[in-house]
Amino acid sequence: MSDIEKIRKERKRWEDEELAPRLKKFNLEKPVTSFSTPADLPEHDFLGKVGFPGEYPFTAGNASVEFWKANGRIAALFGFRPDWGGTRGVGKYGGFGTAEDYRDYLIRMHSMGRTGGPNMAFDLATQCGYDSDSEEAAGEVGRVGVAIDSFRDFAVIYEPYTGKIDIDKQPSNFTINAPCVVILAMYYVLAKKRGIDPKLLHGTPQNDILKEFIARGTYIYPPRQSLRLFKDSLVFMRANMPKFNVNSIGGYHIREAGATRIQDLAFSFANAAAYLSAGVDAGLDINDFAPMFTYNAFGGSMEIYQEIAFHRASRRMYARLLKETFGAVNPKAMIIRQPVSAHIGCSSTTLQRPLNNWIRAVVGGVAAGMTGAIPAAFPPWDEPLGLGHSQEATQMQFDATRILMYETGLTDVQDPWAGSYFMESLTDRIEAEALAEMARIDGMGGAVAAIESGYMQRAVAKSAYEKQKRVEAQEDLVVGVNCFNGPLEQDVRINTAVEPTYDPARMATAEERQVAKLKALKRGRDNKAVASLLNTLKDHAKDEGKNLMPDICDCVENDCTLQEICDVMREVFGVYSPVKL
Amino acid sequence: MSEDRKIRVLIAKPGLDGHERGARIIAYGLRDAGFEVIYTGLRQTPAEIARAAVQEDVDLVGLSILSGAHLSLTRKVLDRLSEMNASDIPVIVGGVVPPEDAETLASMGVAGVFTAGTPVSAVADFIRAQIAKKTD
Amino acid sequence: MASVSWDRLVDGVLSGDVRSLARLITRVENREPGWQEAMKALYPASGKAAVVGITGSPGAGKSTLTNAVAGLFAAQGRKIGVIAVDPSSPFSGGALLGDRLRMRESAVHPDVFIRSMATRGALGGLCQGARDVARIMAAFGKDLILIETVGVGQDEVEVVKAADCVMVVLTPGQGDGIQALKAGIMEIADIYVVNKADRDGADEVVADVLGMLSIAGGEGSPVLKTSAVTGAGIAELAEAVLAGIGRAKNRETWLRERVKAEILSLMENEILNSLVGKFGKNGALEKAVSGILDGKSDPYTAVEALLPGLSEAASGDGRR
Repeated sequence: MSDIEKIRKERKRWEDEELAPRLKKFNLEKPVTSFSTPADLPEHDFLGKVGFPGEYPFTAGNASVEFWKANGRIAALFGFRPDWGGTRGVGKYGGFGTAEDYRDYLIRMHSMGRTGGPNMAFDLATQCGYDSDSEEAAGEVGRVGVAIDSFRDFAVIYEPYTGKIDIDKQPSNFTINAPCVVILAMYYVLAKKRGIDPKLLHGTPQNDILKEFIARGTYIYPPRQSLRLFKDSLVFMRANMPKFNVNSIGGYHIREAGATRIQDLAFSFANAAAYLSAGVDAGLDINDFAPMFTYNAFGGSMEIYQEIAFHRASRRMYARLLKETFGAVNPKAMIIRQPVSAHIGCSSTTLQRPLNNWIRAVVGGVAAGMTGAIPAAFPPWDEPLGLGHSQEATQMQFDATRILMYETGLTDVQDPWAGSYFMESLTDRIEAEALAEMARIDGMGGAVAAIESGYMQRAVAKSAYEKQKRVEAQEDLVVGVNCFNGPLEQDVRINTAVEPTYDPARMATAEERQVAKLKALKRGRDNKAVASLLNTLKDHAKDEGKNLMPDICDCVENDCTLQEICDVMREVFGVYSPVKL
Repeated sequence: MSEDRKIRVLIAKPGLDGHERGARIIAYGLRDAGFEVIYTGLRQTPAEIARAAVQEDVDLVGLSILSGAHLSLTRKVLDRLSEMNASDIPVIVGGVVPPEDAETLASMGVAGVFTAGTPVSAVADFIRAQIAKKTD
Repeated sequence: MASVSWDRLVDGVLSGDVRSLARLITRVENREPGWQEAMKALYPASGKAAVVGITGSPGAGKSTLTNAVAGLFAAQGRKIGVIAVDPSSPFSGGALLGDRLRMRESAVHPDVFIRSMATRGALGGLCQGARDVARIMAAFGKDLILIETVGVGQDEVEVVKAADCVMVVLTPGQGDGIQALKAGIMEIADIYVVNKADRDGADEVVADVLGMLSIAGGEGSPVLKTSAVTGAGIAELAEAVLAGIGRAKNRETWLRERVKAEILSLMENEILNSLVGKFGKNGALEKAVSGILDGKSDPYTAVEALLPGLSEAASGDGRR
């Protein structure tokens, strides 16, 4: 009898003699816990499925030594604050009001030593391709990010970035998708005007339009045409801005919109496959351009084992996808480059007794640490209050992360779960389920077709509703929400102050000032040139073989507005009409 | 059948905010509570919402707003409804709404404000009570 | 909200008041007492409008197409009513009515009035309900009323019976499209639309439809390609719709059949409702159900018992 057979036999005995009587005693229909044995992992191929950190299939981690681990001590002794940004990184995600307002904010940050590159949030009008003077923009201008109508706005933001922190030395991040091509063109034109070789530019745009149809909702054009614009940006950047990342693919938004873990994984990889195929179809070498892809984050949850297995599975799946499906040989093309790993996700936080979110975030940090990432205790506990993160909550978030990093030894081990019968079989299961879902999407014709038909959107909406029903039926328990919420419980609060990032007086007048600026721009520019460039763009938009980036660069340089550029493409591409639920 | 009259509600997202999870959950949940839910999706202008509310003769309008623009957008929807002589249609708001703003919304005439963690069943009960109050 | 009288609502509809129109529709849809009187009052003013049925499988793009056609007709100065039908949940009785979502462009036009309707699974089906709503819209002054159907099931055929012109919407790559035709829609279709024609396979679908029409002797029905997204083919479709309406008005026997069908459908509703009301209230229906479940009776005997004299009447020589 083999060892595995012996274990199976023993397990049967254990179930009958030990487990069954206990279940009967407690009146349980089935076990409330699980226990794994080598029989759950009968032919575990360690080298094929796990391997060494930094080597294919990357299950055990992207690198044998991570940058942040190598520099961990120095960061501690130096007192590094992740929200300040440094000469190597971007600053805190933000943006508000007009370009002038945001510029002045950045100058203030610089004076405090927070010299990271701009990590730009755009207002919703900009994200949806509307100028500040449009009807759609009314009330939205400068609200959740900075308003950008033209290259002149964009250039204003960069006024403080000169000398040691000029754009060839500092990265920029742009959280924008549908009009991403316009913002990239602005950055390219800015470099040219400053006499900087665009090949030196680095940074990351979000540029992940497909997930906007599934979650988040800042789409403009139909999926197919949106993917064409992505392709144009990819081809242009590969040739002209090779150090600039192409995108930041997110499963995070999909999960936050309600997707299950499997949908998160399968949909974001199906999207990634669509982007990768676009590059291959355009004649680019997968080994050259795939390393320009980054990942924003996948979603998270409080289910710590599941999230750890998820990240192990995701690394392996991506490596295999790149190697086996796309034929990549460059290991750099096979890794998921992402700033964070496991976490709990904002939707795990509760408005009820919000300080408890600190504990929740720490659980996410532990999971992150066990998957080889910085054990970030994200998000700050006051996230669901919707008032912006307070200084206190941010401090507590950083300290929780630091305690995990420096006091617990959590990050001393690479892939501590490797070889666990339980974790390895869970990793296999998540991988298998996600692959099955991806095969289903493939059968529909890929991510674009699955979005056109509304499959992904409906699947996510249904999952969100199922989750809600489970919470309302007290199947899923959430402390303070559907249990332990009686009068005996005490709501613990602490005093907090939200850093006055945004000057309310300036916010109040932002729309008016922005619209006035736009009027002046439209009066003062060479309107003949504008009309002619927009016409050319329109003609070229009709020809799928034409890369539109050079035309958009010309438009941007000659003061065409963001909406004018988007409108021309709206005319040719049409606009996306959402599917019924 | 006709004794318990069907309740019709409009669920809409004004403004450009694309976070649809809450609105979709409410739409599904109210359908399963037996309501007829007209779901107009993202990026609705206040005028479009008011027109839809009138044409569909809904008993109540639910707005979902997560961009922080709840005060100005709700104000505009109420104004448009009033211009169409439809101020009698109650409006509720769901989303990330700080307590002070909830009070401001109430003073504008908003019938109810619902934040994260509210069970759909509670929203359904609230709507039934609103309509019962109005019919009496 | 029984506060507003039927008379005031009828006057409101006839004088073009939008809120009265919307409210009267609700009350007729709910079959609130007095609805027949209101319909009688509106009937004389409802004769001029034409009704267009738009049917096809879910996902064929019916809403988007309805939106495009409605927008075009409105731009020509016609006053348009749209009835968008979605299924009611058989479990909760609720419904998610989402067609408006895809009709934004036309919805903003002041002369377009869109009303979403749930099938409600009520006795008598949706056909009469949609017919009533169309009639109210006509009395309000709409010239053209588009009824967009659910896209599945027998209701399709029923709804479009009320229409002067029926278009069936198909798409490339939708294997069940042609299947749907075979299920009976074909006999009532005046126009075939192959939507999403910018996609591969549109010409194959056109060929399939033409082939089927030639076998069934339905040549002459136009088969058009459209793309609701780009607007291609919409103008041609609108022309075909107007032509289809023109043809309908000349079909006298068909008109007679339609009126007869409506009378029968209203009678059926009335009879069924009153019977169900009667036997439901006095418990006879539940008693009959129990009898059958207990094995003491069968459905045929139960009906005979509930409806004395029915079998004689059905046999054709019921004597008094």
